[in-house]
Amino acid sequence: MNSRDIILQRIRENLGPRKEEAPPPVPTVWPRSSVDRATLARRFAEELQAVHGQAVLCPSWDAACQDFQRLVRDSGWQQGVVMDRPEAWRLASGVSGFQAFQVSENPPPRDMEPVPVSILAADWLLADTGSAVVICNQPGERLACYLPPACVIVATADKLREHLPAAWEEIVPLARQPERRGEFVIITGPSRTADIEKILILGVHGPKRLIVYVVGE
Amino acid sequence: MKAVHSQHVSLQGAAFWKAENKGLAEPRGSKALGESAERSSKHNRQIAMAIPYWEQWREAAHQIKRYAIDHLDDLLVQFEKNLIARGCTVLWAKDAAEANQHLLNIVKEHNVKTVVKSKSMVSEEMEVNHVLASVGVKALETDLGEFLVQLAGQRPTHIVTPALHLSASDVGRLFAEKLGEPYTAEHEKLTDIARRHLRQEYLRADMGISGCNFGLADTGAICIVENEGNAGLSISAPPVHVALIGIEKVIPSIEYLPQFLNLLGRSGTGQKLTTYTHIVHGATPGRKFYVILIDNGRSNVLKDPAARTALFCIRCGACLNACPVYRRVGGWAYGWVYPGPIGSILTPHLVGFDKAGKLPFASSLCGACGEVCPVKIDIPHQLVHLRHRAVNTRSPVRSPLERLIWNAWAWAMRGPLRYQLTMGFVRLGVRLAKFLPFHPAQLGAWTRGRELPLVPSTTFRSWWRRHGKRFEQPAG
Repeated sequence: MNSRDIILQRIRENLGPRKEEAPPPVPTVWPRSSVDRATLARRFAEELQAVHGQAVLCPSWDAACQDFQRLVRDSGWQQGVVMDRPEAWRLASGVSGFQAFQVSENPPPRDMEPVPVSILAADWLLADTGSAVVICNQPGERLACYLPPACVIVATADKLREHLPAAWEEIVPLARQPERRGEFVIITGPSRTADIEKILILGVHGPKRLIVYVVGE
Repeated sequence: MKAVHSQHVSLQGAAFWKAENKGLAEPRGSKALGESAERSSKHNRQIAMAIPYWEQWREAAHQIKRYAIDHLDDLLVQFEKNLIARGCTVLWAKDAAEANQHLLNIVKEHNVKTVVKSKSMVSEEMEVNHVLASVGVKALETDLGEFLVQLAGQRPTHIVTPALHLSASDVGRLFAEKLGEPYTAEHEKLTDIARRHLRQEYLRADMGISGCNFGLADTGAICIVENEGNAGLSISAPPVHVALIGIEKVIPSIEYLPQFLNLLGRSGTGQKLTTYTHIVHGATPGRKFYVILIDNGRSNVLKDPAARTALFCIRCGACLNACPVYRRVGGWAYGWVYPGPIGSILTPHLVGFDKAGKLPFASSLCGACGEVCPVKIDIPHQLVHLRHRAVNTRSPVRSPLERLIWNAWAWAMRGPLRYQLTMGFVRLGVRLAKFLPFHPAQLGAWTRGRELPLVPSTTFRSWWRRHGKRFEQPAG
């Protein structure tokens, strides 16, 4: 008998006979309420700020691109890696003096190491926690979430959801797709640690800065 | 980067009392740990109290975990099937030795020389770093706390914050000694030093090792939560990812995950959600993904229905922070991987009562651990249950001396004359004990930090004989 069978046999013997039972109902966690988009956007910005991230609420793409241009200039970024999603390209392209490279499928990590910023697109934004849910299908996209010292995420305002359980209804069917590979990452603020005397420090391994653009009314 | 000193610390089960004294001999570490843990506990409790659904969440999580453990065999088979369907290689390990053998085989197959590792309690059970070092593979802890503990040649003192016992100046000295960095005690600079050194390690690593917070049976995905981004880098930068998963981590469905994420962040670090929640769906193209499912004593817990809830633990560390005993003695005193109340109920099952039978006695039974547990593990009752088991099985608390003492006590309690005679000897003994040149064994351990009690000049019985009439109620 192999280890798999031994472990399963041990479990069955030690659990003994069991009654048939249905799995517990899926809990609601947080109740759903009908909150307008402007309120969600405000709440998202407050929550993200509370975890030391920065939300930029822009009424239009023009406003977002203009603000991003200012951000690039102020931060001194000359290049960045961009996730291959229309929203990310729309924000990152056309900024003068800024070279935008597409995140390659499976890059050697060293290639991405000198890049100061990544530009990602979020599939959902969670207002109650200030979180962005990013679907990464390839190793390069995963790495772009963690390796550059600054991370810019962009999403349209229709991606705002009240909280994680509200977004979960849409996330679960995607996660169940048999061909699904890679990673769903829920990002709530920049990288942080409190491992030394419980003092909070940002950017211990991952990005030190997280800026989220929410575009549209 | 200078080579990390990989000092092996043998973990031979929990000799609580011996180690406890060692912990007490480090007042600075112990104080820092105690204060931080208490502060965290208060903060997290306040957060929980502000949520009207908290008790509903706990109950729901408890029921999901109960179902998962009651159907563990079926869920593991489903989890394995779905992992394989997503291009993952699944290996099973009865114990730590077999899990390590799997790991070494993977190392050999992929010609691995360097490993980056994110925090994983099951890897501590396996002593992975030591095993990899024995074949010349450099394994580096990347969680900041774990990195510090590894550099110092110590063991984690807390499940969530492993270096809670180290001050900033301790870390500054450690970095100066081991990494050749100029001394500093500024938190930001210390963190930057760690970032700079570890960054290069992610880039050159051949393999990343992670743990797993939840295995999702219905999708074959694993969920890892963290704050630093080290897990994200460890599982996405190297070409090979190995996830070490205790078999009890499986939950039936991804649909239940928000429930646990809401509880785990708030109970562990007082956050609504941790900074990064990774839900990994199999191997990405061009990468290898292995899952090692590890029993290592967990199936023993199932044998005892009254003890099964110990496997519900989601490793948030809330019970450690709430425990007055843990806060005083620290994590090392528990002698093995899992400290605090959860360690006291898990370790005896995992390493055996013969080695860790004393741990359930390392508690004041104040009940704080049970109150804060986000999955409603009834830890205080488990402790009592395990005490009962420990005294009825081969364990350190069933020593000939213990038996002699309890038999003498039972004899003395069988009649008033015996009781009076025994108490007479006890009173005499306590009076004479202070004249002894030293106090042997347990008596010595007790009197090291305490005064012997003063024996009253008269017993209650003789006092009552003389004065009791005053208190008698008049008839009628």
